[in-house]
Amino acid sequence: MSHLSLNTLLATEQYSLADAEKKASLLPVIREQLARARENNRHIRSFFDKQGVDVGRIPTLEEVPPMPVQMFKYFDLATCPQEQIVRVLKSSGTTNNLASKVPLSKITTANQIKAVNATLSGYLGKKRRVFLVIDHPGINDHRLELTARTAGVRGLSLYARKMHFLLKENNGKLELNLPEIEAVARDCAGADVYVFGFTYIIWSVFYQQIRDMKPGFKFNDVRLFHSGGWKKLEAQQVSRAHFSEEIAKVFGGSKSKVHDFYGMAEQTGIIFVDCEQGNKHVPNFSHVIIRDWQTLKPCGVDEPGLINVMSILSDSYYCQSILTEDIGYLVGLDDCPCGRKGRYFRFKSRMEKVEVRGCGDTFRA
Amino acid sequence: MITCQLLDGKFQERCFADFREISETVERNRRKLHDLPLEVIIALLAKLGRSVIQDPAINSLDGVSYISLWLRKGNLEKICRLNYQGPTYCEDFTKTEHSFELCALPRGIVCHWIANNVPTLAFFSVVQAVLSRNGSLVKAPEANISTIARILRHLAETGVEVAGKSYSGKDIVNSIALVSFDGKDNNLSTRFSMAADCKIVWGGSDAVRAVTALPQKDHCETIPFGPKYSFGVFDREFIESDRFEGALAAAVKDIAIFNQAACSSPQVYFFEASKYGIDEIAKKLRYFFEKLPEKLKRQPVSQGMASRIINARGHYLLDESKNIVKSDDLSWTILIDEDVKLEEPVHGKTIYIKEVGNIDRVVELVTRKVQAMSVCILDECKKRAFASKVAYKGVDRIVPPGRMHDFDLPWDGILTLSRLVRWVLLKN
Repeated sequence: MSHLSLNTLLATEQYSLADAEKKASLLPVIREQLARARENNRHIRSFFDKQGVDVGRIPTLEEVPPMPVQMFKYFDLATCPQEQIVRVLKSSGTTNNLASKVPLSKITTANQIKAVNATLSGYLGKKRRVFLVIDHPGINDHRLELTARTAGVRGLSLYARKMHFLLKENNGKLELNLPEIEAVARDCAGADVYVFGFTYIIWSVFYQQIRDMKPGFKFNDVRLFHSGGWKKLEAQQVSRAHFSEEIAKVFGGSKSKVHDFYGMAEQTGIIFVDCEQGNKHVPNFSHVIIRDWQTLKPCGVDEPGLINVMSILSDSYYCQSILTEDIGYLVGLDDCPCGRKGRYFRFKSRMEKVEVRGCGDTFRA
Repeated sequence: MITCQLLDGKFQERCFADFREISETVERNRRKLHDLPLEVIIALLAKLGRSVIQDPAINSLDGVSYISLWLRKGNLEKICRLNYQGPTYCEDFTKTEHSFELCALPRGIVCHWIANNVPTLAFFSVVQAVLSRNGSLVKAPEANISTIARILRHLAETGVEVAGKSYSGKDIVNSIALVSFDGKDNNLSTRFSMAADCKIVWGGSDAVRAVTALPQKDHCETIPFGPKYSFGVFDREFIESDRFEGALAAAVKDIAIFNQAACSSPQVYFFEASKYGIDEIAKKLRYFFEKLPEKLKRQPVSQGMASRIINARGHYLLDESKNIVKSDDLSWTILIDEDVKLEEPVHGKTIYIKEVGNIDRVVELVTRKVQAMSVCILDECKKRAFASKVAYKGVDRIVPPGRMHDFDLPWDGILTLSRLVRWVLLKN
């Protein structure tokens, strides 16, 4: 089986490689990247050595040691010399006040842009489009730390010709940005657009305020992407089908073009977009392993486990195998009815961290 | 909404809007328990101990075999003698050295708030109320309620003959109600608290603070078994003695029981510098972790626990100044460093081990939050001196390895039975 380089994997039509073919291509690239990471970072060297990992001889992708995603908050996980780092992306988390620090080089940033373009072109075509953001403009302030909300906006904006923010902030509350909405309806009529928003904000703010209006959107083609948890919507008994149908109506589009996607700041450039069957597909330059949270071994189809996202996009930080705190399950390999090859999975929930620990819970006073 | 799984001796699910009928039933039924001689109560409980161990539905659960041991007649008699300061105070007015007689009477209804980290905790809590002849309203975690119900079913079916008279465990079970309700429901929590003549609270800091702050009867006694921390220490002479390996094996069992989630579970072991380096000691511990019976080695790991283990491992793998020995799965983890401090518990058989130049450095770490300390000091005089120091700083129990989870009374420094009774005097 031949090995494909990163550039070839980026240039090849996404989701065209069978799982085994892609794994065979990724492994040698990852071995090479990890050898460099080990050389350049004493923490990563310690990480490998204490686990007895000889990076040049890692036999399978499953045996690449996964880095717990929380470690980006505590350690410098740069894999290149410091002088090659052009920016450190900071991402605030929900579990504590510490921010993840993701060092980016020029090469990494360029790869991430190519990756998003390669992924989105499968949904949006080759031409850049107008990007409508269901959030307020302050969310895209580059001085701010990245959150799950902003990561989506920034990741997807890489494909934008022009951006419009359909909400505004008023005394800390989100509300419709009516002049902007009118301008979009007027100026973008007949255009191809794509839309992104955080699932809960789309439903609880945007949809609740706009559903009784007639915004008069008349786009030629509209794709809507949304991300973020479903817990709050489930509590309101909003099904995915109902959500897609209602939101598609607002934009005058089709519910089949409403896509949930999954991604994270530590793996910028990789987005897992729902296909028409509701499955998340893995791009050529990435791999996903679902790991049992007890044994850490790969799970079989339909078995829930931790989502381990692998990538070869970065030469500047440990992206090769990141163990998330999200639970998902594998749906199948190479045989999704949508026609995309490779493995496909679904996101289930964040890890349940809150637990009553009883009388043995803490030493803190 | 209150779900009641046991009331008036009937094991059936019933729903109630408040505790009125439940507490009235228990109040009425506790009279029969009060009238049972202590000898009979102990005989019934001892027979229960022999029967639960035969029940395949529960005898494999964590702690059930220990229940069977703990309920031995001799053990219960010793507990009562120690807690009641003698054998007869709880039977009738008994002469004292003073000019009055003394009798230990039940307080009435004990409301128990049970934590969910130890499956058998509800049972131990209830038995203490039974030995003091109180009625019980038990708020047990839903995950563990079937265990306690199953044990109480056995008790209801237990009968003994004492001095030619037959007695049934039903008279004990009738004085117990098992309930569950949303602890965040302030209204129900307040009503539950108001039903109590005595409150026993097992739980973390938030739970204990919340329950103790609830309105209660003016005479209500509160016995909090709040968050506690346990650890162990080995001195050089012990480490270099032929007792060391056996003690390590026992220490690993202490870690493994209840998957290290109990307040008596050790979280850190300090080893005085010896001929064995700390890495060598880690290797020995690894051997004993791997030798654990499968049931203890691979206990279920919750998502929260998995997250803590994965992240703790990540820190020790990445930090060059630390070391780690671990299983391939999340079964057990040994975290090695030189920080002389008590670490936040990770649980799931994740033990911190640290080398110290002198074990006296550990004394300064002890606070009132420390419950049990497993102390391995070879020289008996040195051990007693060390025990005095750590006891003054706050430790409640100083035990050898393998005995950390022994449910001794006193527990958390409290002679519980003595607190569960009213001491009534009769002066002539």
